[in-house]
Amino acid sequence: MAELDPVIHAQARLRIVATLAGLDDDGSIAFPRLQELLEMTAGNLSTHLRKLEDAGYVGQEKTFRGRTPVTYVLCTKQGRRAFEDYMDQLRALLGNGATS
Amino acid sequence: MTNEPDTDDAPLDPAAMLALSERQQQRIANTAVGPVAWLLAVWGVAWTVGFLVFWSGYAESGSPVLIPLGLAVPVFSACIVAAIVVSAVIGIRMNRGIRGSSNFSGAVYGVSWSIGSIAVWLIGTALIKAGMPHDVAMLFFPAGYALMVGLLYIAGAAIWQDKGQLILGIWITAVGVGATFAGFPTNLFVMAVLGGGGFLAGAIAIPIALRVRRG
Repeated sequence: MAELDPVIHAQARLRIVATLAGLDDDGSIAFPRLQELLEMTAGNLSTHLRKLEDAGYVGQEKTFRGRTPVTYVLCTKQGRRAFEDYMDQLRALLGNGATS
Repeated sequence: MTNEPDTDDAPLDPAAMLALSERQQQRIANTAVGPVAWLLAVWGVAWTVGFLVFWSGYAESGSPVLIPLGLAVPVFSACIVAAIVVSAVIGIRMNRGIRGSSNFSGAVYGVSWSIGSIAVWLIGTALIKAGMPHDVAMLFFPAGYALMVGLLYIAGAAIWQDKGQLILGIWITAVGVGATFAGFPTNLFVMAVLGGGGFLAGAIAIPIALRVRRG
């Protein structure tokens, strides 16, 4: 069996990817809202997002709302695939398809 | 397990990681659905109180408490307007900070409520102009709105694949039909008890369903 993806196999990043993968395929979420849903500090979330971005799993779009800059975070196609693979691997490790 | 680790970079064992992921996804689902319970509660109270007061404004209603119609009508209107305002605020807050193609569905769905409400009101106005008597108009408006609300919940069920909305939609549509057969002013009582009660039951059912799913 292949190694579990080390980028996702960390509690904080797994929660981030699980959240982002739940968005629409073309969806994105504002950084503060994501922070709220994850209950993470801005600094901590940024650190993990950077790691996910370096792996190509997450993208960020910077736009303006009026004069305030807003960062939207999204899950890339590659990120969705990695998340699905990771979940499949976990389920396989736990003995086929057991989800609870 | 209530405290979600946030600074922890380390993995847990596979079972715990799987549970962590599922808990996070469930939590996102809850934040999406939670406000819906409030929406239903607001409309449940508005219909129950509003229609009961309205019904009590008619001497022939048999209501144990008679309220002057001059007071009953404004109270009814205030209930409905307050519910519209509160649900607009809840609706706007629900999707804040989230973009995506389902926003279009949500926006179209939101606007369809306004279009439907205005259409029922305009059709009723035209029917009154065409000579619809007062007692028939009093049957038409609640029925028209109940039909619109019921069908929009059914449409919502189709968009979000939500059986709860389907049940509520069928129920409200049936209440609209039943209330009309009950005749005026009993139809107002039916709208209050079965219509408002239906919303309140929905508002109570949502948190229960979420807790069951959480296990």
